[in-house]
Amino acid sequence: MSSPSRPAAPAVPLTAMPAGAIATLHEVRDPEARPVLRALGLLDASRLRLCKAGDPCIVQVRTTRIGLSRAVAEHLFVVPDSTSGA
Amino acid sequence: MTTAVLPAGTRAEATPPAVRRIALIGNPNTGKTTLFNALCGARAKTSNFPGTTTSVRTGHREHRGVTLDVLDLPGVYDLDVASPETEIARGVLDGARGAPPDAVVVIVDACNLGRNLVLVGQLLAHVPRLVVALNMIDLAGRRGVVVDADALGRRLGVAVVPTVARSGQGLDTLVGALQMPPAAHPTDLPPRGADAERLAAWAAAVAGEVTRGGDAAHAHDAPTERLDALLTHPVWGLMTFVAIMGALFWILFALATVPMDLIEATFAQLGTLVDRTFPDGPVRDLVSQGIVGGIAGTVVFLPQICLLFFLITLLEDTGYLARAAFVMDRHLSRFGLPGHAFVPLLTSHACALPGIMSTRLIPDRRDRLATILIAPFMSCSARLPVYVLLTTLLFADRPGLAGLAFAGCYLLGAVAALVTAKVFGSTILKGRARPMILELPSYKTPSLKNALLTAKDQGVSFLTTAGTVIVAICIVMWWLSAYPRVEPPARAVELRAAAAAPGVAPDQVEALGAEADALEAKASQAGSFAGRIGHVMAPVFEPLGFDWQLTVGVLTSFLAREVFVSTMSVLASGQAETEVDEGVVDRIRGMTRDDGRPVFTPATAAAALVFFVLAMQCLPTLTVTRKETGSMKYAALQLAYMSGLAYVAAFVLHQALRAAGVA
Repeated sequence: MSSPSRPAAPAVPLTAMPAGAIATLHEVRDPEARPVLRALGLLDASRLRLCKAGDPCIVQVRTTRIGLSRAVAEHLFVVPDSTSGA
Repeated sequence: MTTAVLPAGTRAEATPPAVRRIALIGNPNTGKTTLFNALCGARAKTSNFPGTTTSVRTGHREHRGVTLDVLDLPGVYDLDVASPETEIARGVLDGARGAPPDAVVVIVDACNLGRNLVLVGQLLAHVPRLVVALNMIDLAGRRGVVVDADALGRRLGVAVVPTVARSGQGLDTLVGALQMPPAAHPTDLPPRGADAERLAAWAAAVAGEVTRGGDAAHAHDAPTERLDALLTHPVWGLMTFVAIMGALFWILFALATVPMDLIEATFAQLGTLVDRTFPDGPVRDLVSQGIVGGIAGTVVFLPQICLLFFLITLLEDTGYLARAAFVMDRHLSRFGLPGHAFVPLLTSHACALPGIMSTRLIPDRRDRLATILIAPFMSCSARLPVYVLLTTLLFADRPGLAGLAFAGCYLLGAVAALVTAKVFGSTILKGRARPMILELPSYKTPSLKNALLTAKDQGVSFLTTAGTVIVAICIVMWWLSAYPRVEPPARAVELRAAAAAPGVAPDQVEALGAEADALEAKASQAGSFAGRIGHVMAPVFEPLGFDWQLTVGVLTSFLAREVFVSTMSVLASGQAETEVDEGVVDRIRGMTRDDGRPVFTPATAAAALVFFVLAMQCLPTLTVTRKETGSMKYAALQLAYMSGLAYVAAFVLHQALRAAGVA
């Protein structure tokens, strides 16, 4: 995650996404959370789905569902998938 | 029958050194504990890794006449993430914590292969002999995920055994595969210490090659989606949570009293039997009251501990416990506590011992410490008789106010706990509270066997570690309350002489004897070491309005709060009552100080009530705190902080009431 690739669309915080949106993880701007998220499978360029918005929220990456408090989610910058309607 | 996939590059006639010691490792929620239980059964035992508070389970498995030692390592996602669990796992694998295992079994979730293979990739670079248990293969099948175990085995160069730990499917094959010789690792495996992205890309590629279906980036798991929509909903989720936790609490609070009463009755009978068998004297008293009483005082905690671990293991297995933590996180994070802290704090309302033990659910050590330190503030069942006694003394003819004061005690304890968590979080505890990052595992049918084995393990672990210390403490406290023996008071001697005189009616003999017994019991309590210490310590508690008798009550109840009622009852009437009925309250209300004033003035009773809400009056809890934190330091902090707060709060209340004209 040290050198995130340039996004096609502007990256937005995960907290700005609506429930059900699909996005690609662009950058994690919380160094403490990064290794834990990585261990759970949330890596740069991972595609994820926001299953539940709000605080806390639920994201799904592949088959792993992860609960995140807003304090973490607001540091996750994602590029919305243009086909997901987000 | 399940077959092991012999890795490419091995020779069937090879005779590698026999495997005797194996370690189980895997991501959390992969069924690792279930697999361990299936392998080792009821013979496993739980202890802490030396020098740590992380528990380890060890067991044995017989296989073709060979006994295998099985070590269950803590659940880890990634060997490179800095955490106590990872450090322990690395230490064991590298041989830094004793001899390294001869072989390692890595348990992977067949539904979540891509993520699990990251750990497998790291292990391939770490350990010479590895076997993959491709677990929950049945669940994967039901979700339309098909993993080609043969292809995975060839790809990784290790044996891959499909397993269903809950039913025991594949276990014999798994153990047999451990004896297979190691083969060459895949040539495209990123080297040890490789960049995480590279390893993840390799894992995803391997998973993609051997998996069909269900692993898309946004795959819908309809049952999980539906249940999560309900169980994590701000309203319905909270209501479900309240219902489930209410049931848990009721079982611990009400149902556990059945076996607890049975244990107490059994030990009481045992004590009576000892009294009848042994000749009168100090040895008989030591055995019947000290030792039998001490063991009873320890074993009585078992039902709540076992029941709690049984129930939370069931809840954890279903996947609900993670949702409960999710629902509570927003509420508890304001006080620097994780959502996981709710179960320990709720349980502590029944008893702080199982409450503190259940903090093992909390993944982060800092969060665990914060929860342990505040748990005893929650009003446990041992405080109930004290609350009943003191609120009745305070509001004798106003049951409404007594009820309000009673509820206020629970509220005061909970508020004190949350404020303390906030204060400790920004002062004593190092680092900042971690915001929630929590895996929400798939919903599963829980394993009854798993829950029973965990309950048994935790019960045995309690008895063999904290339990032995608690028995010793009980014996010492009994000795302090019973010795030195004092001469019977002159009035008691006179009464006995009167009873022995000829011509006295039998019912009068009995009455005189009972009165003499009461006087002797009072004298014995007052003259004991505890009584004498009470006299010496009385000036310390005088600013709270406590006299020497109340001070003795505080000191003897340091073993357990409910002892306060029996001590005050003995001091009031010479009868060791434990139930708070009208007679006991009246007798205690009639107690007077040396200057003739009542012991329990309204201001004193209110101060005593606040003191008992906040004070750390429970030595067994301190023992468990020391064990669970791995340090005497935290037990000492808990004692000093809670007692200090209780003293100051009681002092302020007593002085304020006096200033307001309340005697």
